[in-house]
Amino acid sequence: MKTLQPSGIVLAFAWLVLSFLVLPAFAVIPVSFTDTRYLSLPEEHWSLQHWRTFLSSQDWVDSIGQSLWIAVVSTVLSVVAGTLCAIGCWRLSSGLSEKIRGLMILPMAVPTIVYALGIYRLYVELDLVGTMLGVMLAHAVTGLPFVVLTVSASLSNLDPRLEQAARGLGASVRQTLRYVIVPNILPGVLSGAIFAFIHSWDELIVVLFIGGRALFTLPRRMWDGINDNLDPVIAVVATAMILFTLLVLTAELSLRARRAS
Amino acid sequence: MLSQASSVNRVYWLIVAPAIVMLVLFYFVPLGQVLLTSVTDPKPGLGNYALLFTSAAIHKTLLTTVRIAAITTGLALVLGYAVAYAMRAATSQRQRLMLFCVLLPFWISVLVRSFAWLTILGPQGPINAGLMGLGLVDEPIALSRNETGVLIAMVHVMLPYAILTLYANMRGIDVGLVSAARSLGASRFQAFRMVFLPLTRPGLIGAASLVFILSLGFYVTPAILGGGKVMMVAQYTAFQINETMRWGLGTMLAAALMIAVLGTLWALSRVIDVKRLFSA
Amino acid sequence: MSNGTPEPLVRFINVRKSYDGKADAVRALNLDVETGEFLTLLGPSGSGKTTTLTMLAGFEQPTEGRIFVGGADVTRVPVEKRGIGMVFQNYALFPNMTVGENIAFPLTVRRTPRAEIAAKVARALSMVRLDGLADRRPQQLSGGQQQRVAVARALVFEPRLVLLDEPLGALDRQLREQMQYELKHLHARLGVTMVYVTHDQIEAMTMSDRVAVFSTGQLRQVAPPRLLYEAPESLFVAQFLGESNTLPGTIARLSGSECSVTLADGTTVIATAVGACAAGTAVNVAVRPEKMVLGAAAAACANKVQATLLEVSFLGDQLRLRLGAFGREDIVVKLANGAGQETLDPGAVLTIGWHAGDCRALAS
Repeated sequence: MKTLQPSGIVLAFAWLVLSFLVLPAFAVIPVSFTDTRYLSLPEEHWSLQHWRTFLSSQDWVDSIGQSLWIAVVSTVLSVVAGTLCAIGCWRLSSGLSEKIRGLMILPMAVPTIVYALGIYRLYVELDLVGTMLGVMLAHAVTGLPFVVLTVSASLSNLDPRLEQAARGLGASVRQTLRYVIVPNILPGVLSGAIFAFIHSWDELIVVLFIGGRALFTLPRRMWDGINDNLDPVIAVVATAMILFTLLVLTAELSLRARRAS
Repeated sequence: MLSQASSVNRVYWLIVAPAIVMLVLFYFVPLGQVLLTSVTDPKPGLGNYALLFTSAAIHKTLLTTVRIAAITTGLALVLGYAVAYAMRAATSQRQRLMLFCVLLPFWISVLVRSFAWLTILGPQGPINAGLMGLGLVDEPIALSRNETGVLIAMVHVMLPYAILTLYANMRGIDVGLVSAARSLGASRFQAFRMVFLPLTRPGLIGAASLVFILSLGFYVTPAILGGGKVMMVAQYTAFQINETMRWGLGTMLAAALMIAVLGTLWALSRVIDVKRLFSA
Repeated sequence: MSNGTPEPLVRFINVRKSYDGKADAVRALNLDVETGEFLTLLGPSGSGKTTTLTMLAGFEQPTEGRIFVGGADVTRVPVEKRGIGMVFQNYALFPNMTVGENIAFPLTVRRTPRAEIAAKVARALSMVRLDGLADRRPQQLSGGQQQRVAVARALVFEPRLVLLDEPLGALDRQLREQMQYELKHLHARLGVTMVYVTHDQIEAMTMSDRVAVFSTGQLRQVAPPRLLYEAPESLFVAQFLGESNTLPGTIARLSGSECSVTLADGTTVIATAVGACAAGTAVNVAVRPEKMVLGAAAAACANKVQATLLEVSFLGDQLRLRLGAFGREDIVVKLANGAGQETLDPGAVLTIGWHAGDCRALAS
């Protein structure tokens, strides 16, 4: 029984909005192949000159390295701490885990600019401004909520009696985690890891404040590029980042599909 | 037996601890420092907060912020409602395609998207190129480096939040009620207005609040597309710190922003389940 | 159609419905609903009864054929223009409205004046004995009360036709029986035509003037409950409604409506021929278990046979016997609880018999 029948106008409008949503991703790609020296569509022919500039620039390559390092380490920190926290809360009591989950929402809701100011003040005292460690820690903390929320969602589908059964059969807490709980929530943990990685990889505002003179992650170098001289190399970087995101999104969607089946 | 149970509990407390310690030391302590600085710098007292009521520059910034956040919220709600509604009505295959269109921009970083909009809306961008190619305008129209550009990009960033929140709500609605209304004599529009729309009220409230509070603290998009002419509160705050080193004023604005956001969330939590808003 | 009888309220003409273009959910449907009658569409799930109701309501359109209501072709008329009241399986009460607003809904969308709405809602509420509950939310009512609100909402705008889609499915047995009588009384009192869908044969028998039996997309038979039970026209109807002993055989001789059938084990029985029968036609002979008699009564019957008692089940008001005869072990006889039945023990050899008129040879 067809029950909701949006009129043709509503449907057309919805698809128009959806194309508005995907438009920027498709617009920036041809711009990266422009043959001009400014941000525009290719005029005479498609050119790889700006891609060559990007790949041969030591600054950009260094930035990719820094971004990768920071994202990998902070993701590992977030995933380990966040997964353990979610499991502990789940096992201890549902009331507590609800409270912790409530607390975890704060870093997602509080505007980043507020946190950036605070962490900068703290890092000045701890002498962590401009250090990899400092950025890694900040990204790990702000990445925690993504891990805790996705892992908690996975755990809520897990029968708590599994844990009791494993313990009853003589497994230690460590063995229970290793052989029973973690394998069952692995898709959730992986999703959380992807979110945390993307969070760090894309993060700009905190790095702007605590990056000092030494750290120029990919977003920060892009930001400087946009503010200084808008040259088409930035379109190249943007395209590369969009393609990268597309890859990760596909991975996440297939994980989600596997979880659903 | 009892002591064994409590020792197991101790193990679980231990594994919760690292995350809590990280969160307290590197999240709550910094936020506390912001609040503290806002009442101690340059001298103890509520002097910084008084500026909220006296400074014309701050008034202008707050007004711009609230205006942009409100317009963004309104637009995102109207556009998002149509998409969520079409998604709810679509076949599951069509639904997956639509969801992909929503998630793709959601996952691309805000910085990249803001830059992309700058490219699209710029004087040499495809929109102006198209308009001039069609002979509709003689010279490029100003779509970026002004409030129009900021609004277009902000709506683009906020739409997925609105769509996902509304869609989650609509999925829980029994569409059989709409056919019931039709069979009792309601036209398509009457069934929508009298039955479906009222049932999506929690979704509308949730989506509106979420988009509004996220818009209030936006920094990157207005900074890039506003071209320095459209100053929202987050950018104004950063400006106080980076350019004039007025920490007291900066932290006061940050603290006020945080209080406004958390206050809205708290009020909202009495109406709907806030946790679900952030798990989409 | 035939002269003298009034025009039927609803008429399906050669209706076919296919959802996927391959399988037919309903095919070759010709069915009339008389004005004022209570007609039940009965059948197992997937039989096409709900599709038929859905097309009459206007939620789906037939792939082929036409539907008339009150003489007008409504095949392409949109659902809200048909003026048919409908009661849904899960009630479909609007959770955002009070009970009163729910009942007022059909009037509100028809822009009925306010005062008239108030009067009609009050009358509808008292009709279903819910006076004073107008300001409650549907969620605050019990299942039975919600059911009554749904009925009141379907009746309040005085439609000439009301459709009910398994409306009692969610209620427990006792409440269900009570609601069956309430609905029946409402029907008798208001004289409105009702088309009712159910898969429950007892419910269909209890409430209906006529029952239309569906299976695999086809209408098998339409008749008043008693006729349907006593004179099924197909094996499906004989087996779906109540219980039947079915014995496969071949028609040996046919004279008028009576025929003699040779069964698989060579025995001959006398039966009433139904449908396209001729000598040599393969048929199933159907006999209701309660039409079979034992002992002296059996001796007076046209059909009688020696049978071995295999099993006795005591069901309170009746006794259910399983016997071996005709080379089979699944012959069932039902006896009303009475004196002298204590002597029935497994192993006994009995004579069972039945009249030719209680036994139908159904062409297969």
